[in-house]
Amino acid sequence: MFKYLIRRIVVSIPVLISVTIIIFGLIELAPGDVVDNFINPEIGYSAETLEAIRERFGLGQPAPVRYLKWLGNAVQGDFGLTYVSGEPVLAAIGRRLGNTLLLMSTALLVGTVIGVSLGVFTALRQYSFWDLALTTLSFVGISMPAFITGILGMYLFAIEWKIFPSGGMRPVQRDPTVWDTLHHLILPAGILSLAYIATFMRYTRFSMLEVLHTDYVRTARGKGLHERVVIWRHTLPNALLPVITVIGLSLPSLVVGAVFIETIFSWPGMGTMYLDAVNAKDVPLIMGMNTVIAIVVLGANLLTDLAYGMIDPRIRYD
Amino acid sequence: MSGQKKLWWSLLAIALILSFSTATVSAQGGGTLIGGFDVGPGGLPQTVPWVQTAGNTWLSKIWSPLVSYNEDVSGLAPQLAVAWEANEDNTVWTFTLREGVVWHDGEPFTAEDVKFTFDFVLSPGSTFSGPPQAAALTILGAQAYNAGEAAELAGVRVVDDLTVEFELEAPNPRFPFKLVDSYILPAHAVNFAPAEIATTDWWFTNPVGTGPFMHEEFVRDQFWAVVPNPNYWNGAPKLDRLINRYFEDETAAILALEAGEIQFTYASGDVALQLGEKGYALHQGPSGVTNYFIFNYRNPVFQDVRVRQAFLYAIDRQAIAEVILGGTAQVVPCLGAFPNMWPAEYNEYAYNPDLARQLLAEAGWQQTEPIELVTYYSSQFHMDAMAAQQQYLADVGIDVVPRVDADGYNAYFYTGEGWQISYRGLGNNPGNYPFQFYETGGYPNAVGDTGTLMGQSFPELDALIAAARQEADPDRYTQLLQEICAFQNENAIEAYMWTALRYGVASTDLVDFYWFPAPGGGPYEDHPELWAVAE
Repeated sequence: MFKYLIRRIVVSIPVLISVTIIIFGLIELAPGDVVDNFINPEIGYSAETLEAIRERFGLGQPAPVRYLKWLGNAVQGDFGLTYVSGEPVLAAIGRRLGNTLLLMSTALLVGTVIGVSLGVFTALRQYSFWDLALTTLSFVGISMPAFITGILGMYLFAIEWKIFPSGGMRPVQRDPTVWDTLHHLILPAGILSLAYIATFMRYTRFSMLEVLHTDYVRTARGKGLHERVVIWRHTLPNALLPVITVIGLSLPSLVVGAVFIETIFSWPGMGTMYLDAVNAKDVPLIMGMNTVIAIVVLGANLLTDLAYGMIDPRIRYD
Repeated sequence: MSGQKKLWWSLLAIALILSFSTATVSAQGGGTLIGGFDVGPGGLPQTVPWVQTAGNTWLSKIWSPLVSYNEDVSGLAPQLAVAWEANEDNTVWTFTLREGVVWHDGEPFTAEDVKFTFDFVLSPGSTFSGPPQAAALTILGAQAYNAGEAAELAGVRVVDDLTVEFELEAPNPRFPFKLVDSYILPAHAVNFAPAEIATTDWWFTNPVGTGPFMHEEFVRDQFWAVVPNPNYWNGAPKLDRLINRYFEDETAAILALEAGEIQFTYASGDVALQLGEKGYALHQGPSGVTNYFIFNYRNPVFQDVRVRQAFLYAIDRQAIAEVILGGTAQVVPCLGAFPNMWPAEYNEYAYNPDLARQLLAEAGWQQTEPIELVTYYSSQFHMDAMAAQQQYLADVGIDVVPRVDADGYNAYFYTGEGWQISYRGLGNNPGNYPFQFYETGGYPNAVGDTGTLMGQSFPELDALIAAARQEADPDRYTQLLQEICAFQNENAIEAYMWTALRYGVASTDLVDFYWFPAPGGGPYEDHPELWAVAE
């Protein structure tokens, strides 16, 4: 397994470099540059000012030279300064990454626990009232985009009932406590978790039903095993394999963030920072974020593959 | 009660307690005012002096310029300077500074701070690049000093502790207008290099200014809190605390306002009017931005004045302003956004589609394919307006297709290539008129030999601009602006549409609060020392 791990990591390096080349190329192909971010079209800038702004960002060099410079610094851990805020790229990413991890991991955790539980619950009660009701709700959850659930949730819980704050990560009038953070987290994370709950519930239900109808489960029951043992020891672990794949595919969202929910709840996370960086054509920040995201995606794929091995003893990596 | 029910009620009670704890505002003295001061076109969250392109409403709470706009941006108001006058040919401006001003750390403010500021931002390697640059680089010797070709900045001289003199490269009767967003920095407290202006943490950790409020706490991406400056020259502010909360977009700020978490934000016209009906206090004013079609004269078809005039006759601008824009815009005769920039008589280009068709026929208008109407605007306000414009133009046989390009617009607009007609806005007021947009050679890099964005020069307009640039007498200057307006109007240099009203929305518990939609956020005279929150 260790050899397999090393092999996968080594293979990931050229993939990672390819990703950075593609992203840099796409940024170069896009119209405009970072200077546009500093030009308010409604202010009559002089030609001299426009030129001075361009000079400030050293945009005179050819793209390959700028890319190689970036790569040379990046392998040494220096991702440069963001064009817009002027802070070190890794510091900016680090600050937002923590916020996004908090939001998205809470949503994913809640979604996984509730979604998988409801999936098992409905599978064991196929075609019952609860199965039909929760299945219908899950379709609603999957179909309803975040900008509907987000606005609706905020309107009800923040504006009408004032149970939760409408946005931000902390109160601005005092130092935040753990409770304050939770208070600000519950609504956006709860709304984000709805889609996870619905998705994981559907996958778990389908997978459970499939496994429940296999010969070895029938055999287990025929041997007179207690139903609890049949479900928890023989059915669920096997049914979870495809669910783990889906959860694994969701892992990159832990660092990518959720643009709309972050925007509407003023949650300063990776999603909004990425959008802002792209709009501003902030090349160092875009490159830094993409590198981090690419590393996480590659890492998540690796973790998913390793998790298979832990759950399914038939899978070996030697 | 079952265990489950107990748990549910307990959780609900905790949530309610927490919600009350955040909703309650402490109101000792003037209270705490929380606002989205960087929401909207005049805002720019987390920007800093000398690189800012907007955000002056907030920056001016901590730092002060020598002069600012007055309350409605129609003139100037004294800030750190109490008087200013020019020599006979407007090449030397002398500013008399306010007596008794102290920095937030108690050190006295003097003319040396003014000289230090301009020396600092203009020194070789500095990274200042915002609009204040336009003023600084016109100072005598500034460009040579900035390029490292001169040992010192010759054009800023300290006369005495309370007098400072600016000598300019060329006469400028309105030089003080150029200084409104040039914030003065403390010579004794700036501890970073000029090259670090845009990147230093000093602005957010221990900034020292002379403004009405002093830095208290900055949490990046979330808020900036300031407390009253007890030594503020216009009296200590009444508020206990002023907080600028950051929002990713206007909608989030509006929702926070409705949730009672903030007391002020900018809002688009339609949203603001709805909030006004709900009882919120509206602060409205002219945006000072004129919306218009700029024609690219590199396409010979737009060189015919009859075609350009047909665009104006074809569109019922008044109806769009009143009905589609809900009365939140005023039709203008020329680029000038304010009535005092308009001549007594001008062609109103009242809606006349028959005349438009006739002019097009006389000009031999023949269109084989749709013309793109490119814009950077994506708000509902402008989308609605453009849809109406498209319909009106189609009615007379002009086929335009709106295209929104918010990201790439600036990349080609300033070259003059890649667009035929653009629907855009341009901020202007009597003190800061964008002459360079019309002047021959104003944009040397633009395609063509005229050095103009539209690819056409007008000798008569050049002469009027040259005269206006030199004119020191305010009345004569205003008259020249009106003559420029008359020329633009008569020749339909561009198809001028309207200037929009912009809105700030505040809760009704604010006392003596003032906000004006100044371009770039001003700065303007808003007397924050008087603001308070009613208990």
